[in-house]
Amino acid sequence: MLNTSVAIRDIAKKLLDEKRVDLIIGFEKGSVPLRSTPCFVRSTSEADRLIWNVNCENNLAKYLPKTKERVAIVAKGCDVRSIIGLIKENQVTREQVFIIGIPCKGMIDRRKIEAKLDGKEIIEAEEKDDTIILTGNNLREIIKKEEFLHNSCKTCTHRNPVIYDVLIGDKVVEDQAVDEYREVKEFEAQSHDERWRSFSDEVSKCIRCYACRNACPFCYCQECFVDSSQPQWIGKTTNLSDTAIFHIVRAFHIAGRCVDCGSCDRACPMGIDLRRLTKKMEMDVKDLFHYEAGISLEDMPPLATFNPDDPQEFMMV
Amino acid sequence: MELNIMENQIQQPREKVDEWEPKIIAFLCNWCSYAGADLAGVSRLQYPPNTRIIRVPCSGRISPLLILRCLQHGADGVLVSGCHPGDCHYISGNYVARRKFAILNNFLEYLGIEKGRVQFAWISAAEGKRFAELVQKVTEDVRTLGPATRLVRKQG
Amino acid sequence: MKELEIAKTEVVSLLNTLIKEYKVFAPVGQNGFITFQEIHSGSEAFLDYINSKKPPKEIFFPQSERLFSYDLSKGEGWSVEEPASEKKQRIIFGIRPCDARSLVLLDNVFDGQLYKDPYYSGKRKNTTIIAIGCNQPSSTCFCTSLGGGPFSQDGSDLILVDIGQKYIVQVVTEKGKKLAKKHNEFKEAEDNSLSLMRDTIETAEALIKSKIEVQKVTEKLDSMFDDPFWDLVSEKCLGCAVCTYLCPTCYCFDITDEVTGQRGERVRTWDSCAFPNFTLQASGVNPRPSSKERLRQRIMHKFNYFVANHGMAACVGCGRCIKECPVNLDIQVVLNSILNR
Repeated sequence: MLNTSVAIRDIAKKLLDEKRVDLIIGFEKGSVPLRSTPCFVRSTSEADRLIWNVNCENNLAKYLPKTKERVAIVAKGCDVRSIIGLIKENQVTREQVFIIGIPCKGMIDRRKIEAKLDGKEIIEAEEKDDTIILTGNNLREIIKKEEFLHNSCKTCTHRNPVIYDVLIGDKVVEDQAVDEYREVKEFEAQSHDERWRSFSDEVSKCIRCYACRNACPFCYCQECFVDSSQPQWIGKTTNLSDTAIFHIVRAFHIAGRCVDCGSCDRACPMGIDLRRLTKKMEMDVKDLFHYEAGISLEDMPPLATFNPDDPQEFMMV
Repeated sequence: MELNIMENQIQQPREKVDEWEPKIIAFLCNWCSYAGADLAGVSRLQYPPNTRIIRVPCSGRISPLLILRCLQHGADGVLVSGCHPGDCHYISGNYVARRKFAILNNFLEYLGIEKGRVQFAWISAAEGKRFAELVQKVTEDVRTLGPATRLVRKQG
Repeated sequence: MKELEIAKTEVVSLLNTLIKEYKVFAPVGQNGFITFQEIHSGSEAFLDYINSKKPPKEIFFPQSERLFSYDLSKGEGWSVEEPASEKKQRIIFGIRPCDARSLVLLDNVFDGQLYKDPYYSGKRKNTTIIAIGCNQPSSTCFCTSLGGGPFSQDGSDLILVDIGQKYIVQVVTEKGKKLAKKHNEFKEAEDNSLSLMRDTIETAEALIKSKIEVQKVTEKLDSMFDDPFWDLVSEKCLGCAVCTYLCPTCYCFDITDEVTGQRGERVRTWDSCAFPNFTLQASGVNPRPSSKERLRQRIMHKFNYFVANHGMAACVGCGRCIKECPVNLDIQVVLNSILNR
């Protein structure tokens, strides 16, 4: 991981020196254990802040739609898929972005680790090969990385960046065998009543902080439907009906665009299983329209186009 | 569309439970389905009076929010109808809509909204009889399901 | 009043007695984290915790609160109904000292000299606060920088210090004294327990390493409104409301009408300065158009404006915003950067 950090810094310095980009978006060390934080570098002297480790969980593509500068961005497999989507949606041009691609073996879910430690606090976390060494008061534990990956990383099928300008490190083996929709199918197998109960239990945790929306690279609307006051689509309270509709429509709006980077899931402070919603969208788009988001720059987003022979068995006869 | 107009269509003084009649909102496209409803009317075809019609320019105009908001504010069922594939006044509005509807239909069922609460159909301007039949069908389906409870906005 | 003590084994029975007379709120484990909820049995309370996910401010200032409701459907014009005010006395048991202190800050806003919010102050008046001090402050805690501490008494009526087999009870207010006298689970503290208590408090205070000179921050901020610093520090902010909604001292709210058919209610809901709508004007102008202005407002309000208005910073150093920020925008880092400016 150290080597990757060094390589990122070298490229960053080179790009800034040669004035090929104005800004590098990467990660720097976070302020608490098991965290890295987005970092914006505009001069070579700052480039040594850049790092790479298993805590670089944020999707930096989020910052692209705002920027007017020429940007180099440090991007994992899922981040690159988001960038492809944003290019297709004209939020950023391919020429404007220099992609520093990084093959990724998955990011660590600190909440899973915290849950395992049962209240004991981590003061320091050190990455070593496939393990992390955790130390703290009455705590010294070595954990295996792969046991604490984010859920979206566990079912990832595109660990290697699909497009890039430079690739740091060797490509990793893609997991071909994983059934990424297993949880969706299990949920589908439940009865209507169970599904509704479980869905309403999940969304009743929502505090309407919109971290899920704001962490999503594809939520860049000037005005979100939840913020609209003319018309006011849904109420402002945590009324179950309103929060349910927020989550249904949020998921719907990223149908055919979501690359399952897991940002929404990671951002949610209340631990709502948001991927249960987005993963279903992804699966249906694949089944019905044979489309996978963020793989190619050429194909049309599925809900912006159609095929005269699209399935319509669901309609009344 | 003014939401309060839509909601006025839905809202009526509450009936007693044993007198419950389904309230159904039908979004009909201006060019085909609304004309189909018109034809049903001038042909004096009988169909249940539970449906309140809202005319929209095209089925492509229907956002899932409109449908969800109906269910939230007291509709027991929603019917969305547009021109048959190939006949859209705007060439492809209904094709694009069909993709949205397919996704939404699956998603609502996935989350436990009963199958049949929200239905989609193609009805042409010549299909007055089909309109009457489909409204009959939707009304019966919703009657079987009973009053909507999920997604309904309860106060306080 | 002299310190009392209560054996840990007696706590459940004390809670059970209290529940008969009071509405009792206590930390409860749910969905993998702790929230304050009304308990109906003493055993529901989970007292061995670091802190709750959501701050207990919501017991006084809920995320959504009905101010009144109205009904047009009865055919006699408007009928307006106010929510019945809570008559039953309430107890919050097991709140952390930082959160108890946050209530003192909120009192300035909702129960101050100039304005008294009937919804808030009504609940505040009939609530007794029993805090439990923090033997094991978290690494994100910085309460001591803000005038509090792991055993700060501000805002509590009684405060419990965990010394192993029992809690030493410090009696802070008259209200607390009355309550303690009524229940014989509280006994006079033994002398050796008291020295244990002093050790515990000392150890815990030493565990809080972070020390920020907040007063200096306040002074510095006086001249920092137009500083380019805000551009840099806000760059990664996502503009969500995690920090403000999980903050025990943030109190901004919105008032809206939620109407269904002919019935409606006027509700007060939490609002956040991180949202674009917070300052959007009817003309379409937004004086805080980007995350730069919004983050600046959050920091300025907490550490400068609030100090000017009420003589204290609107932060208790609980560290919730640090723990939960999706992009690790750490308020301590921001404050330290301000000092280094």
